[in-house]
Amino acid sequence: MAPHAASPRSRWRRHGTSYLMLLPFLGLFAGFLIWPLANSLYLSFTSFDGVTVPRFTGLENFRSLLFDDDRFRHALGNTFIYVVASVGLGTLLSLGLALAFNGSSWPHRIMRTIFFLPSVTSTIALMLLWKWIFNPGDYGLANTAISWFGGTAVEWLATPGLTIPILVLMSVWGGMGYGMVLYVSGLNTIPEEYYEAARIDGATDWQRFRRITLPLLRPVTTYVVVTGLIGAFQIFEAVYIVFRGTNNIGGVLDSALMIVPYLYDQGFTHFRLGYASAIAWVLFLIIFAISMVNLRIGRALKEL
Amino acid sequence: MRRTTAAACAALLAALGAGCATSGTGPTKQADANAPANLVWWSTGGDDETAAFQKAADLYARSHPGVTIKVQTLSWDDAYAKMLAASSSRSGPDLISGGMTWTIQFGLRGGMIDLRSFGIEQLKTQAQPAQWKSAVSPDGTVYGIPLDMSTEALYYRKDLLKKAGLDGPPKTWDELTADIAKLKAAGVKRPLSIDWGNLDWIGYFNFLYQAGGSFYTPDCKPSLDTPQAQRALSYWIDLYRKGGAPTDTVATPDALETGIAMVYGGNWNAKVLDTSKPKLKGKWAMAPLPAGPAGPTTFIGGRAVGVTSYSKHVQQAGDFVRFLYTDEAIDAINAESKARNVSYLPPRPDKIGDAPFPPEQSAVFGDIISTGAAAPGCPGWDESAGDVAKQLQSAILGKADMKTALSEAAKIMGRNAQ
Repeated sequence: MAPHAASPRSRWRRHGTSYLMLLPFLGLFAGFLIWPLANSLYLSFTSFDGVTVPRFTGLENFRSLLFDDDRFRHALGNTFIYVVASVGLGTLLSLGLALAFNGSSWPHRIMRTIFFLPSVTSTIALMLLWKWIFNPGDYGLANTAISWFGGTAVEWLATPGLTIPILVLMSVWGGMGYGMVLYVSGLNTIPEEYYEAARIDGATDWQRFRRITLPLLRPVTTYVVVTGLIGAFQIFEAVYIVFRGTNNIGGVLDSALMIVPYLYDQGFTHFRLGYASAIAWVLFLIIFAISMVNLRIGRALKEL
Repeated sequence: MRRTTAAACAALLAALGAGCATSGTGPTKQADANAPANLVWWSTGGDDETAAFQKAADLYARSHPGVTIKVQTLSWDDAYAKMLAASSSRSGPDLISGGMTWTIQFGLRGGMIDLRSFGIEQLKTQAQPAQWKSAVSPDGTVYGIPLDMSTEALYYRKDLLKKAGLDGPPKTWDELTADIAKLKAAGVKRPLSIDWGNLDWIGYFNFLYQAGGSFYTPDCKPSLDTPQAQRALSYWIDLYRKGGAPTDTVATPDALETGIAMVYGGNWNAKVLDTSKPKLKGKWAMAPLPAGPAGPTTFIGGRAVGVTSYSKHVQQAGDFVRFLYTDEAIDAINAESKARNVSYLPPRPDKIGDAPFPPEQSAVFGDIISTGAAAPGCPGWDESAGDVAKQLQSAILGKADMKTALSEAAKIMGRNAQ
């Protein structure tokens, strides 16, 4: 016989204190997350300019964004290229570093610490450092290094073709240490017996890596890729600090224009907060869809 | 489960309903005129500038018992967003100062007070005419007035010019072209760079007006499809392609230190050069920008100050804005700017002689300002500026033909004017 459902009074008696103790958190959660989210959803259907009362415009912001806005399409294209390159390269290098330095010896620990350092350093400080490295003329570090080999100075930040490669470089350098740490913890959970058995069966190094290491690291890879995707889609500081011009957040010819900087530009320099909210929700849907696909792929591979 | 979903939907609807309550534009209830008024002024810039403006505020407070004014610094990076947040919530400072068009932008949306009711228009005769015009809204409303001026000058290395056999800086475009060639021949790798306005409409502004052109006709029709506009762009492009000016922006002090002979830079560099690059002391000087075929017209920018519509002390704040143009206020700001090494150019050209610069620099700034022009105040310009800059960049970087780029820029300006 199924147990009787507890009456609300007895449930309250049992859990009341817990509910009360949860209230401060729930209040903050509702006030600082749910309410702003709901507000931004509402504003995405309005022509809110930040000062006057929002005017309901239905789907106009979304229609305009998807069908009329060349800059948004440009930002979307830039963002996709950047995301694919930075997440792909970042994941590969993180795995490579983890395989190279997953031991418990001092040299391995030191190398892991060195590669992890950018992850715990202030993003703004790092971006200023990169800006200094790519300074034009003869005093930027990159150009100084080029001059040692007799090369001519490159105008790094004013050459549109170099913009995304520079952003990818900054992202991969800054993020691969974090991915490495996750992979190292994943590697340490793989039982040594699997490798011994494979060795006895005559498996080569490559076969052991492909048939044991990679499949058993799949949950870590999924996590690294999904969190990497979410972070990469939301790139902002690098564009804002390193590439922003006086009148244009996207740098020379909008070559560094990404979705979030474009959202900021529309909302906070062009008084189009309703439109910026629509961009935010489109970005949410893109990230949500891609993360779902990624998780599904991970699950499908597991079932193979 | 169904109940949970219904509750979640209800909560969402409630939140959406709450969202509808965002903002409001009803008139702000004014405080009693006899009650103490503690005004707050959000000043975009640095702490030293804030301290200089605070001196003027203190002077006003001394002669107006019951009024205090606290000047607070906002950095250029986040000032606009903070002011927008304040306007949105209709709570915040009584006065704001920032970019020249900010007060217009906020004013057109109901965030600022029309200052004409405070007799502000009487100050027009004291201001630089072009700058005053750029601070006034296209419909004539005065949401803000110039608080200071900024402009551009030619900074040059005396030793490098001498090395190339040049007696002084170039005074015309032709001389600039010839001097670049001479400097290159003398072994100066980079004769010229543009700091303020590099690859941007502000940089083009100088050449356009010096060639006799303008962004708009007097009745606000785009005017970039003109021979003057083409001549200006052609000359500017040549400075990059033939003259070797870097398309990547090098700050004026760094440029001069690393051996660039001449730099188009903002007036603030005159103050920071000696302190940031002590080794350059005595080696650099400044002059007005080389004049084009139509004259030496140079860009004048600056900051505008205005009163927010959500202030509870509009009367006192408006009166204080007017006070900022008095001799005593400007003298106080000048004196404190001098003490703190702040590059302050007062909004009254007759006071530039007292500005915190050595006399020879003040004279140069005086010359520049006497013929200066300011950003177009035509409808749609603020929305167009970034896209116009991109068209100019296309032409400079060889991605588009010069005439096409100008024609596209004009189309954008026309579209945004509607």
